[in-house]
Amino acid sequence: MNQFIELLISGLSLGCIYALIAMGFVVVFKATNVVNFAHASVLMLGAYLVARWHGSLGFFGAVAAAAACCAVVAALCDIVLVRALRRRRGTQEVLAILTIGINIVLGTELAREVGTDLLPSGAPWGSDVTHLLGVTVPQTRIAAAVVALVLMGLFWVAFTRSDWGVAMRSAASDPEAAALSGIRLGRVAAGAWALAGALAAIGGAFFTSFPAAGVNNSTGLLALTAIPAAVLGGLDSTAGAVVGGLTIGVATTLAAGYQDQIAFLGRGLSEVVPYIALLLVLLWRPSGVFGTREVTRV
Amino acid sequence: MSDYRMTSTELQDHPATPANALLDVRDLHVSYGGVSALRGLSLAVPEGEIVAVLGSNGAGKTTLLRALSGTLAMQGGTIDSGSVELSGRSLTHMEPAEIARTGVVQVPEGRRVFGELTVEENLRAGAFGRGRRGGRAEAFARVYELFPRLRERQAQQGGLLSGGEQQMLAIGRALMAEPRVLLLDEPSLGLAPQVVEKISEIIQVINRQGTSIVLVEQNSAIALKIADRATVLEVGQVTLEGSSAELSESDEVRERYLGLGRGPQIGNVEPVTPVTSRRTALPLTVEGLTVRFGGLTALSEVSLTVEPDSTHAVIGPNGAGKSTLLNVFTGVYRATKGRARYGDAVLTDLRPPRIAALGVSRTFQNLALSPTSTVAQNLLLGRHRLSKAGFVSAGLRLPAARREQAEQERVVAGIAELLGLSDRLGLPLMSLSYGDRKRVELARALCAEPSLLLLDEPVAGMDAEESQRMARTIARVREALGISIVLVEHDMAFVMGLADRVTVLDFGRCIADGMPDEVQRDPEVLQAYLGSTEGSEKNVGEEIGEAGA
Repeated sequence: MNQFIELLISGLSLGCIYALIAMGFVVVFKATNVVNFAHASVLMLGAYLVARWHGSLGFFGAVAAAAACCAVVAALCDIVLVRALRRRRGTQEVLAILTIGINIVLGTELAREVGTDLLPSGAPWGSDVTHLLGVTVPQTRIAAAVVALVLMGLFWVAFTRSDWGVAMRSAASDPEAAALSGIRLGRVAAGAWALAGALAAIGGAFFTSFPAAGVNNSTGLLALTAIPAAVLGGLDSTAGAVVGGLTIGVATTLAAGYQDQIAFLGRGLSEVVPYIALLLVLLWRPSGVFGTREVTRV
Repeated sequence: MSDYRMTSTELQDHPATPANALLDVRDLHVSYGGVSALRGLSLAVPEGEIVAVLGSNGAGKTTLLRALSGTLAMQGGTIDSGSVELSGRSLTHMEPAEIARTGVVQVPEGRRVFGELTVEENLRAGAFGRGRRGGRAEAFARVYELFPRLRERQAQQGGLLSGGEQQMLAIGRALMAEPRVLLLDEPSLGLAPQVVEKISEIIQVINRQGTSIVLVEQNSAIALKIADRATVLEVGQVTLEGSSAELSESDEVRERYLGLGRGPQIGNVEPVTPVTSRRTALPLTVEGLTVRFGGLTALSEVSLTVEPDSTHAVIGPNGAGKSTLLNVFTGVYRATKGRARYGDAVLTDLRPPRIAALGVSRTFQNLALSPTSTVAQNLLLGRHRLSKAGFVSAGLRLPAARREQAEQERVVAGIAELLGLSDRLGLPLMSLSYGDRKRVELARALCAEPSLLLLDEPVAGMDAEESQRMARTIARVREALGISIVLVEHDMAFVMGLADRVTVLDFGRCIADGMPDEVQRDPEVLQAYLGSTEGSEKNVGEEIGEAGA
């Protein structure tokens, strides 16, 4: 029982990181209708930059710098590549394939940079653990959960209260009507990509901190599991991203924690658990848990 | 309202194209992927005036507004030549958001309010059109003063408003930018008469407060009533222009766009050889049918009988429950109580495919066709239920499958001929005019060889001329195929020459049932159609309820 609670708490904290990453994915989809597979490699870029820079800037400085860098890179992806294709009336599918291309190029280059190294993220908590109500929790995970919750709270307030949020939601609801109202769709889109990039960098920094060992050349692959989190919750729902993230976090942690008991299903099951969870949820609700179902009036 | 005539008389002295135009469109050519939509259109909007743009569907009215607002590119269109200037400043290469910020703001067709945003947030979105100008609070105050209803509903989601309220919100959203020119695309579309009246009063108030207005309307009577001048478009060109008073007097406009002096004249129906095997129509009986969606009663204790081989019209204001009735017949909605029988089969117990197999076929109010396929492909799809060749034999092109394909194509060609679509068969659907597309929709339903045909608002969005043509087509179809037709319509005049029997619904209740001329004189029907303002507001609310359900 104790092990279960330990795994559950650890899973939820991992889930917070997933939620943060998935939220960026959802924001881009809502604002620009692009399924952004490049999100995974931007995350790896963020984690890589933190690992490289924490020595000189300190962990927090490195995270801030990496977030800014990733925001710029993601915004450039939108402005230079996605926008050009959209001008020529590229469809949603074409744009999604474009992002797969970006993901491969950026991911491969980063893997080459990392080589065979294992770069620690340099989080100040190291491998320290805290004993909480009889269970052991890594301190980085507590920090990650707190940071994720604060960021999600800030995002929620901005999204629902600010003019920026109104512009985002109008553009998501009806781009043409939004443009007719004077909302600059290009800026809204670039802003969404930048935000997603920053969230991915922050998520990436925690994603590669303890109990994970650090950035290696397969971090990008692992980061792809954030995509099931977004899809599972519903691609166009920020609340869905949170629920999806928590679900995937708990599911992978439990699968890893109980791997001896479920060894008959094969080793390394935790790596495919996100996709199994995704499949099951989509069979039950094809648009995700909170996703908008296509409603047509007859 | 009473001063409009005086204003327009004064304006007769103006030259045809005033030199002091605020918005000046010159020799505009627009095309969509090589297909020309506007051919050398010129239009001048003088400061402080209302200019109406009239014309049938496909004349280029919406294209003109897209060109003015810069949204053409979003729809795959381009300005090939010509200019659009707002007091000397060219708008042709500007992004839509920049055009809005310059002072030309459009209220798009179909209102397009942001459904998930609250009323207040919708207005905040509109305030982006102000750019860096201050005074947002004053703009809010002005909009709320014009539309007190919006103030009451500030915190409600836009999508939950009634149709009339959504139109107010769409106009209010545009006003938040304090436009110099307000472009209105069909503001009366789908609204009850009293709401239309109210909206047109508000348009006049906005105009008097100093905003120039371009009013694109299908409803020419209303547009001519409130506009100072009007322009008539036909296939992308201006065919008539002048002051509203002049145009209202012109015989051409009276006949074509106001539909005066002509009811639906069906004329003689020439005999046509049936192209499909005739199926015997059976009586359709509805007994005490009630449909509820949550707390909303869409239909309450409705009973009616459609005799075989007759045309039965179901009419009623928006939200009366007409479409709901059709959806029960086709098995899409379940009846809460009561039942509908077609011959011996109880429709209310069957699932949609079984009902289709009985020979019940319907058309949709909003077109349900594939835009990129050709007309012939769309029609062949309608024959799917009747094709016997399986996946394998069709895939291998076995002789039987090929014979069947040839037979299917022959039937499709016959139906196309009956509806006057023969020369359109090879064209992609999206290249057809709206009226032709509605006829393809009818043809698709006929391809299933129905014995009972359900038509959902076949003339919705058509002008007088197009709807007459549709009336003739429907009469021909019945004559040629000898089937029962249930015709759901909003427009009472349209069904009068066509139907053998009429049922009138209002708020889901059946308020009259009888021969067309009896029903026309029924006081309760007149009340429902012309009724009090309060009544029509409720109708609009219910329409939205129905849409949500």
